[in-house]
Amino acid sequence: MSRVRAEVPRGYWNPRTETMAREELAALQLRKLRAQLAHAHQGSPFWRERMDAAGVGPDDIRSLADYSARFPILRRDEITTAEATAPPYGSLASVDPALGVRHHQTSGTSGANPVRTFDTSRDWAWCADMWCTGAYAMGVRSTDTALVAFGYGLFIGFWGLQYALEKIGCKVIPTGSFDSEKRVQLLIEQECTVLACTPTYALRLALTAEQMGVDLARDGKISVVIASGEPRPEATKRKIEEAFGAFCGDTAGMTEAATIFMFECAEEPGGCHIIESDYIEEVVDPETREACDYGRVGVRLMTSLGREGIQMFRYWTNDLVVKRPAADCSCGRTWDLYQGGIRGRHDDMRKIRGVWFMPSMVEDVVRTFPEIDEFQCLLVNLDALDTLVIQIEPVVSLHEAEYEPLRARFAAEVKRQLSLTPRVELAAPGQLPRFEMKAKRFRDMTLEAAKP
Amino acid sequence: MTGYAKPELSKSEQERLRRVYDDLQQLAASEVPAVAAAARAALAQVHTALNGEGLAYELYSKNWK
Repeated sequence: MSRVRAEVPRGYWNPRTETMAREELAALQLRKLRAQLAHAHQGSPFWRERMDAAGVGPDDIRSLADYSARFPILRRDEITTAEATAPPYGSLASVDPALGVRHHQTSGTSGANPVRTFDTSRDWAWCADMWCTGAYAMGVRSTDTALVAFGYGLFIGFWGLQYALEKIGCKVIPTGSFDSEKRVQLLIEQECTVLACTPTYALRLALTAEQMGVDLARDGKISVVIASGEPRPEATKRKIEEAFGAFCGDTAGMTEAATIFMFECAEEPGGCHIIESDYIEEVVDPETREACDYGRVGVRLMTSLGREGIQMFRYWTNDLVVKRPAADCSCGRTWDLYQGGIRGRHDDMRKIRGVWFMPSMVEDVVRTFPEIDEFQCLLVNLDALDTLVIQIEPVVSLHEAEYEPLRARFAAEVKRQLSLTPRVELAAPGQLPRFEMKAKRFRDMTLEAAKP
Repeated sequence: MTGYAKPELSKSEQERLRRVYDDLQQLAASEVPAVAAAARAALAQVHTALNGEGLAYELYSKNWK
């Protein structure tokens, strides 16, 4: 790779709220929260019933501590159950869904009912503005040309970013139906300076370019890669940055929020700033539900202060995070950080033979092996023992004689880093599934085997 | 480094922003479809500016027909 990583401009999208004192920020959050609760109580049968049952009305919340102590946690199945009372949105909606200007829903691939949401024009402008906050912090400016590698369907994905980039004033190239080769061609032809996609797909695009004889770091102009949609280990970030000669900024959102709630700024503090002007983000112990201090891993509870149509209060996201104080970053924002972004999913976390395991730990190791193109993790029960099976697919260019030494080296490295002895299997080139959005590289076969 | 330049809205810019918002709120109720639609779209954008500056925050669409 021949280009040094591009420098990106620095700045705040909203200087005032991004740098306000923490006490002022807490007061702003409380003011918005109380307005949100009053709106929900008035407009949504679901939320009214919930507040009344818990004996906590909008006027009872006098502080953020009150809220955390008294307001019940919301689970995903409670949303889908409420929506099922009168599909698509049931008793959840806080305004007449006829005021919606767009609808999105989760894929429902896990077999559960999808979460369905709509946005009013007010909500959708807010969603785009959250993306603006993140993109601007990464260095995206009106002079940029951005390629968004995303399917533009029912899944919300990068929809908000499309509108945000237009709002910032970028030229946006929506490549919904394009394959990877065409996207590489467009990146070069259009001299794109920003790329938005999942981390997995950024690596796929880099590999495709390599196979086409294109060195994206040398021949391309990308300075910012906006990565979203999956946990993104540090090794993956570095690999993307090297392949594109660009800064790779992490961000994450969810359908339930309709937009992003965190972003990595150009100072790269090793994590992502939480957009605390528009969200209340709590981190709680998954077992005790007690608040986690800075530096302790827990599950994030999300409260959106942004939307009026579909509202979320203390939503159990299943995302594992570690909060750090804002002062750990030199950018001047007063918004706290999630160190390392999303660490993984609580429902993907397993204890294997006494050792805690998350699939992202394997990805960390995989990305240090350039000979490995794709991988899958399986948890299986062998001889009454839980065993981690990792399937690795070598890159096409690797000679077959090198497969077995690769397998052995990789197994040893996983054992060294994870303190687990995996069974590593080789997969034929092209055998393992590829992903554009939401890579799924972990399957718990012990649970699947237990299903009726 | 401890932060970047922090441009601020002047008092008169803040007042203008609020005035534009109030005007658009009224126009959003216009009976002329094109005017109401344009005002509602613009209102949503102006609201994000007020929200981003911490100047105003409203969940307003429920009042619309």
